[in-house]
Amino acid sequence: MAKLYAELIRIRFLTMLAYRVNYYSGIIIYGINIGAYYFLWGAIYGDQQSLGGMTAEQMTVYVAIAWMSRAFYFNNIDQEIAQEVREGKVAIELIRPYNYLSVKLAQALGEGMFRMLFFAVPGMILAGLILPIHFPPTLGHWGVYLLSLIMAFIINTQINLLTGILTFFLFRNEGMMRAKRVVVDLLSGLILPISFFPVWAQTLMGFLPFQVINYYPSKIFSGAIAMSDVAGVLWLQFAWIAILYLPITLLWRRARRNLVVQGG
Amino acid sequence: MIKVSQLQKVFRIHQARSGLAGAFRDLFNRQYKTVKAVDGVSFQVEEGEFFALIGENGAGKSTTIKMMTGILTPTDGEITINGFVPYKQREDYVKSIGVVFGQRSQLWWDLSPTESFRLLQRVYKVEGEDGKRWLDRLVEELDIGGFIHQPVRKLSLGQRMRCEIAASLIHKPKLLFLDEPTVGLDVLVKQKIREFLRNLNESERTTILLTTHDVSDIEALCKRVIVMDQGKLIFDGMLSDLKEKWGNGTEIAFQFKQRIPVAELRGLLGEYPCELFAENEYAVRVKLQRSREMLPLVLSSVMASYEVSDVKVMESSTEDIVRNIYSVDSEVAVNG
Amino acid sequence: MRQIIRLFSDYLSQYFKTRLAYRADFVGDFLSNLVSELINLVFIVVVFQHVSLLKDWSRDEIIFIYGYFLIPFALFSMFFGFWDFNERYIIRGEMDRILTRPVHNLAQVCLESMAPDRIFGVITGLLIMGYAAIRLHLSFAWYDIPLFILLVISSTLVYAGVYTGIAAISFFSDSRTGISPMIYNIQNYGRYPVDVYNKAIRITLTWILPFAFVGTYPAAYFLRKEMWYTYTMLTPVIGVVFFAIGLSVWNWGVKKYQGAGS
Repeated sequence: MAKLYAELIRIRFLTMLAYRVNYYSGIIIYGINIGAYYFLWGAIYGDQQSLGGMTAEQMTVYVAIAWMSRAFYFNNIDQEIAQEVREGKVAIELIRPYNYLSVKLAQALGEGMFRMLFFAVPGMILAGLILPIHFPPTLGHWGVYLLSLIMAFIINTQINLLTGILTFFLFRNEGMMRAKRVVVDLLSGLILPISFFPVWAQTLMGFLPFQVINYYPSKIFSGAIAMSDVAGVLWLQFAWIAILYLPITLLWRRARRNLVVQGG
Repeated sequence: MIKVSQLQKVFRIHQARSGLAGAFRDLFNRQYKTVKAVDGVSFQVEEGEFFALIGENGAGKSTTIKMMTGILTPTDGEITINGFVPYKQREDYVKSIGVVFGQRSQLWWDLSPTESFRLLQRVYKVEGEDGKRWLDRLVEELDIGGFIHQPVRKLSLGQRMRCEIAASLIHKPKLLFLDEPTVGLDVLVKQKIREFLRNLNESERTTILLTTHDVSDIEALCKRVIVMDQGKLIFDGMLSDLKEKWGNGTEIAFQFKQRIPVAELRGLLGEYPCELFAENEYAVRVKLQRSREMLPLVLSSVMASYEVSDVKVMESSTEDIVRNIYSVDSEVAVNG
Repeated sequence: MRQIIRLFSDYLSQYFKTRLAYRADFVGDFLSNLVSELINLVFIVVVFQHVSLLKDWSRDEIIFIYGYFLIPFALFSMFFGFWDFNERYIIRGEMDRILTRPVHNLAQVCLESMAPDRIFGVITGLLIMGYAAIRLHLSFAWYDIPLFILLVISSTLVYAGVYTGIAAISFFSDSRTGISPMIYNIQNYGRYPVDVYNKAIRITLTWILPFAFVGTYPAAYFLRKEMWYTYTMLTPVIGVVFFAIGLSVWNWGVKKYQGAGS
């Protein structure tokens, strides 16, 4: 079984490589976004030294790291599921001897690894040459960051699986999936560090899984979270993985029953 | 009506390197191979003809059809259809043709066929009384009236295909292209579609071009057949000539009332080019090469000379012929 | 052209018939667009809790520009909503069907992927502009209204031209291009005043991918920022020119597609 998933990851990785225009436009998209926010923050800071507890320099680094992290955890698995449901392909998937959701997770991982290797790593090296980025000092720091990034990937993919499974019940929900994407970008701290929000909003966001997707991993990278507090963040991420597992399982069970009733 | 001369289409195909390292190299530097999908094809078609274009997968059929429908521009050569050059005057030209791609729907998935028909009437500007009457006739002849108010996604394949054909004819085109129209349909639906097409061809003198894998389609409908292989036209003529050329010939099995030695029969049929096989003392099989002229001669001379209790004429089927073409050809390809 | 306009009403009625079949999605789309529109507003509001000016622009001026920007963007996505062009028309080959019909192919693609529900984006934009205008005590003359309509149409043309041109890249590639997300992301730049960016980007946003003409430049007129008036007046010219360029690239792409094929 493990071999199957390894193969799925590899195939998705190769598929990503095969679409070269897609690759180039992906680089441009990330360049566009990072550039937009880089200049925007430059203008927002103006002459001010520090905003929301971050200096202008820290903010630039934050923007770079946050987008690079996103390159790994981001995927469109929910839209793929939706398409397979609409085209009726999902019925065929369900009679195959594997777990459909795990297959999707594996494909997402293949995609994430591709972007990590071909976008994020070169991107970070480039950013490191231009910006004063403080890379994690020890192997241990790197390890902790990568671990939290992997968990961020799992949480984000879980959310995608959730919205994807909803297609079984709503038939068409592109709108919701698009809305989810921008909401995740905002609430995960990608376009605005969580510390910028008013206190009441920060409290509210503490109850949601989004900030562990980007804000915390990025802060671990930049060393803004002390090694002694890192364990807490990792545990929080782990807790969210466990919590999200529940609705996915329940919905998935109902979705399959629904499909049987409707006859595909 | 259709004039195709020295038609050529060359593709550049990306050659993927194998393995991860290969895929990585492909990202920055691609290798291409040129392929002649259609290579010097010429033929002419008169108005009102019903003809088939056959060939194996990759023989160049679809590419030829795509060039004839104006979707693709030829690399070289000329096409004139209905007085238009398809790829140059595409928007005017396509008003005079109808196209059914068996694998691809032209109906709106979520809406009923009636809605699609109405929209297509607008697209082709045939909204008047004439257009309406013509559509009514199509609906009646294709027998689709019972379900054209249901969403397309709820129709069966056979129902949908009949609606596709109606949709492609909405503007009463002079020329109809059918690309694999009967794939996956059951016998009854095939029958209905064939009957409709035959009728359309006869009453409206609509020229119809059919590509198909289904040999029975051709036997039921087409007089003329064009065979393509590896981009080249390897046969163009009547179905009967095709049988003549590629068939196993015609066999006549005689059952005589008395014993007939084969040598005696050979003497009788002396000047005719045929082979004789003795089944037993009373039965002889005669294998003819050029069956059309030979068949009546052989039959009449044998019947006139001997008392015959039974005669069977066995023609080789188109299916055999197609198989023959392909097998002979692949041998050529291997040797060449 | 007359035929296209008549077809438009037909497609519109088809659209509503389809839409009535999937009411849930209608609501979902509406909410998702609203959420996307409001999230940028959240960004502006949160940022202005920490600063009082962005370059020389006040919070309400930025909100006004954002409100203006939403209107051409909504109109553009109403008529040029073929975000899945690459997937649907090239990879799945529906372009072949388009090419066998006697109406201009771009018009057909536009009509088939029309999204009239984006009209709500126009309303959101007007509301946001209205809110900002009241807070800024802006006053308008009667001729501001036709001018506003002219500018909005021109801005929409800028978007339409750039998007059509970029979508046409699909014709040159036989596989997935990821072009649509690109345009979706570029529009980010239209939302904020161009002088936020450095000179190179400012020139790009004015002359190469002229998204400044979708937000800052036309909106500056209503904010009475006289230093930008020349650019405001250039908006219709840029709109027409870029739409013409986009259309030519598209036509060129179609030719190329017909030449390459598969």
